Amino acid sequence: MSNTTEEMTASSEVFESPFKIKLKLMWRAFKENWKIFSESKIGMLGFWIVIIFAVAGFIVYPILASTVWKSTSLSSMVSYNPVTGYDFTIASNPAPPSLTHLLGTDPLGRDILAQLLYSTPREFALGIIAALITVFLGTTIGTISAFYGGVVDTFFMRLADLTLLFPFIPFLIVISGMMTVNLFMLALILGVLSGFGGITIILRSQAMIVKVKPFIESAKVSGASNPYIIVNHIIPNIMPLSFLYMMFNVTGAIFSEAVLSFFGLLNIRMSWGLMIYTADTAGYIVGTNIGTYWWLWLPPGAAITLICGAFYFIGRGLDEVVNPRLRRR
Amino acid sequence: MKPILEVENLKMYYSTKLGYVKAVDGISFVLNEGESLGLVGESGCGKTTTSMAIMRLLAENAEILSGHIYFKGKDLLKLNNEEMNKVRWAGISMIFQAAMNSLNPVYKVGDQIIEAIITHEPNVTFEEARERVVNLYKLVGLDPKRIDNYPHEYSGGMKQRAIIAMSLSCNPDMIIADEPTTALDVIVQDMILKEMSRIQKKLNMSMIYISHDIAVIAEVAEKIGIMYAGKLVELSDSVTIFKRPAHPYTIGLMSSFPSVKGEKKELVTIPGEPPNLLNAPDSCRFAPRCPFATKECLEKEPPYEEIEPNHFIACFHPQNLRKQVNEYAKG
Amino acid sequence: MIKYIGKRLAQILILLVIYVAVVFFLLHSMPGGIKAILATNPTLTPAARESILKAFGLNQSLPMQFVLYLKNIFTLNLGISYSFYPTPVWTIIAQRLPRTILLFTSATLISFFVGFASGKSLAWKRGKISEYVSTVIGVIAYTIFTPLLIFTLIWFFGSFLGIFPLNQFLNPDLWLHTNLDAQTIFLYLLLTISLVGLAMLVSFILAQKISHRVKTRKIIFYISTAIASALAIFWWAVSPVGIYAFDILWHMILPVISVTIVSYAGTMLVMRDSMLETIKEDFITTARAKGLPDKVVRDKHAARTAMLPVITNFVLSMGFVVSGGVITESLFSWPGMGMTLLNSTLAKDYPLASGALIFTGIFVLFAHLIVDIVYAFLDPRIRY
Repeated sequence: MSNTTEEMTASSEVFESPFKIKLKLMWRAFKENWKIFSESKIGMLGFWIVIIFAVAGFIVYPILASTVWKSTSLSSMVSYNPVTGYDFTIASNPAPPSLTHLLGTDPLGRDILAQLLYSTPREFALGIIAALITVFLGTTIGTISAFYGGVVDTFFMRLADLTLLFPFIPFLIVISGMMTVNLFMLALILGVLSGFGGITIILRSQAMIVKVKPFIESAKVSGASNPYIIVNHIIPNIMPLSFLYMMFNVTGAIFSEAVLSFFGLLNIRMSWGLMIYTADTAGYIVGTNIGTYWWLWLPPGAAITLICGAFYFIGRGLDEVVNPRLRRR
Repeated sequence: MKPILEVENLKMYYSTKLGYVKAVDGISFVLNEGESLGLVGESGCGKTTTSMAIMRLLAENAEILSGHIYFKGKDLLKLNNEEMNKVRWAGISMIFQAAMNSLNPVYKVGDQIIEAIITHEPNVTFEEARERVVNLYKLVGLDPKRIDNYPHEYSGGMKQRAIIAMSLSCNPDMIIADEPTTALDVIVQDMILKEMSRIQKKLNMSMIYISHDIAVIAEVAEKIGIMYAGKLVELSDSVTIFKRPAHPYTIGLMSSFPSVKGEKKELVTIPGEPPNLLNAPDSCRFAPRCPFATKECLEKEPPYEEIEPNHFIACFHPQNLRKQVNEYAKG
Repeated sequence: MIKYIGKRLAQILILLVIYVAVVFFLLHSMPGGIKAILATNPTLTPAARESILKAFGLNQSLPMQFVLYLKNIFTLNLGISYSFYPTPVWTIIAQRLPRTILLFTSATLISFFVGFASGKSLAWKRGKISEYVSTVIGVIAYTIFTPLLIFTLIWFFGSFLGIFPLNQFLNPDLWLHTNLDAQTIFLYLLLTISLVGLAMLVSFILAQKISHRVKTRKIIFYISTAIASALAIFWWAVSPVGIYAFDILWHMILPVISVTIVSYAGTMLVMRDSMLETIKEDFITTARAKGLPDKVVRDKHAARTAMLPVITNFVLSMGFVVSGGVITESLFSWPGMGMTLLNSTLAKDYPLASGALIFTGIFVLFAHLIVDIVYAFLDPRIRY
């Protein structure tokens, strides 16, 4: 411990670019916060679930797809293709889990596991893009409202009130019924809609706290422009909270996508929600079929639950980093 | 005079991940009927913990290791929770440190007082209890019209008066006032203290005042106990404490307060800071800050002894201390 | 108080106009615009088409169209549904809105009380196994994908145990031999439930007025509630249509359970956190020092104050519960607003879809208003 601090002080005496110092400080802050975060059991649980899904989707699937799941010589069709695949060796579809199809096949004869893995990176992309848009909007609007106050503030806060009351899913259902919505557009809509909502209220109140701190005053006195203060002083200080809410927004976005594709309202090739939709419309989740064809709805449903839960857990864990009063002594 | 409260060798530790925090470490004192005692010490020295131990309102991680608290002859530490609930407020009531937040924001102030009365005296009707609250309001100098207001409609001083009224509501034998006026401005502070002192004498109650401010205590208490780092280091009547302080810490406290009357003196501050009570050693806890400490002080715990009638002190060198202090002040 | 309610009402009305504006402009930005959405349907006769165009002023300028659209909403003229041609949209909504109100209200009340009670005891008794178990259950209920939850419920209760009907609003076999109108019976049911609720409210207020003692208040409240419910049950039991009413209620149980589970966990977790915060407050120490019994400190002082953030949170999570309701209704084929919204969207029945969307919004706004008023009653600091 003491050794590293000595090294730090020693090396900082030698000339270093401010950028390098900044990076070093960031790394140190990251290490400290990681220590607090890693003490939160629920946060670590979420973290590991996300890692497992990420590894499965980004690494395992491409490897499997190019090796074991490559098209067989039996037919020219790719039997494990998540969208167009069909296994001719199986008499009737959907088939229960077996050694060739670990999670069974869907009513169209496609491998469930392949579909599951194929969709994972897309879910991540959707959740993260939507959450990034939300956080970007929320941070900008929250900071600007807090910093300038007055009419701007009132306008955005009333808008946030309205957005909070907005029946999201019904609204999205109608929108996606009226136009063709693909994954990227959905991320955009979700991100923008929730970016004007509750997150602006929370980040604004945080920015209000930062705004009255002495260092903002001294920055003003030393002649910094308003945009400069916002970008360099206020935003870095509300970033941790933004990051926290980003996690909750990832959950919200993935959940919304799952619901909409489960209703068959999205124009996408494959997703977890769509997997359940396929089974549902083919009549395998109706009445007493539910128990018999469990592999059609349980794996994708569980995947959605796990990934939504995981990001929520990470959020709860981060909460302890961001709000020190929640920490256990 | 009959003793009403006897605390004997009370030891109360907080157990934490890192070990025991010795918040109250073997303190003893006696309070007689109609008497007022002031407990003085820096924050974190165990004053509030002592009062909470008497009320048995300790945090979950607090452990009472040994000792007895006799209230009217009954050992409070041996009562179960229901029996203790009967002693609370009817026997010993309390005025809390943070008056601002001591009233529940969602109930009318009057109702919160009536609640206490009805809980302890089930035969009292609502109207009788209300009548009593009206009288109490008059006693503490509040407008009885305010009974049906909510706490947020009261000012700080009014809340403090309402809390005093509440503490008197069940005619307790004893009141513990924990920093009763810290949150108030000086003028209101003085008014409230005088009021409390007047009521105490009028109703002939026993009282424990707790404060970090020895000047406040001197105004109202007949007896003064000085606490340092979880221990009672000196206890006597207030005149003796002011005239002949014997413990170096008390002397330090005295000289760090400017005297309004009397000759001009230079203020002496006590060097250093109070020890960490986590796993504190069994030696004199003031020794590291004490200019007169000897080897003995750093090794053994000084006994708590009566050096003259009704003057208790925990120090190895009370006798030759005076002289040394004078020399220290000169040099 | 009246001033406060008036102010909230005015705010809600403004929000309503803005909401309608958003929906209106959304419809406008659709391919083909609102004209195509409202009036371009092969099933419409030219005359009907003409009348819609006229009613919505679709040949006029944009601001004028908006004013007319707003007027049409307030006069409940929402056009004619394509899929139920020639039923006006309002007729369909008027039939289905009460169902959603009943589902939503009962689930909300149950989930609030269950969540409140469990969150309360979780915070009060920390470090027990029960705390751990219910926290885990709560977190699972909070994060589970709603359709997955409903499939599991249907499978367990409907298929595995076979004690609840699988879906539908009622049992068609039973209703085959009668010419009773399900809607009428449903409305009578709703009326009965509202009357019982009203009786409970009145007895609660009366109890507060009559006695100052908690025990007497509780006795008055429980006895009058019991009498009111017994009367209601008795009335339905002796009436010849009781069995049909029972059939409707029987089909409602699983949907109510689903929406309850979806929304209870949020309440429980927030109540737990809020309660833990409240316990640290000074007035709790005061209450303990006053010698109040443990239960009184917990219920009257801690829980009552800790409830306030829970209600605020409830307002924030209302959208979440409504979407849970949409999913639930469509999965149980329970014909309320949610299912109407979804089916009309899928059937490209735009007048019905937009009407349903607007009335879902109005419903949420009014729920919000009611919660606001309740909050003002519970928190004296708000009233001024």
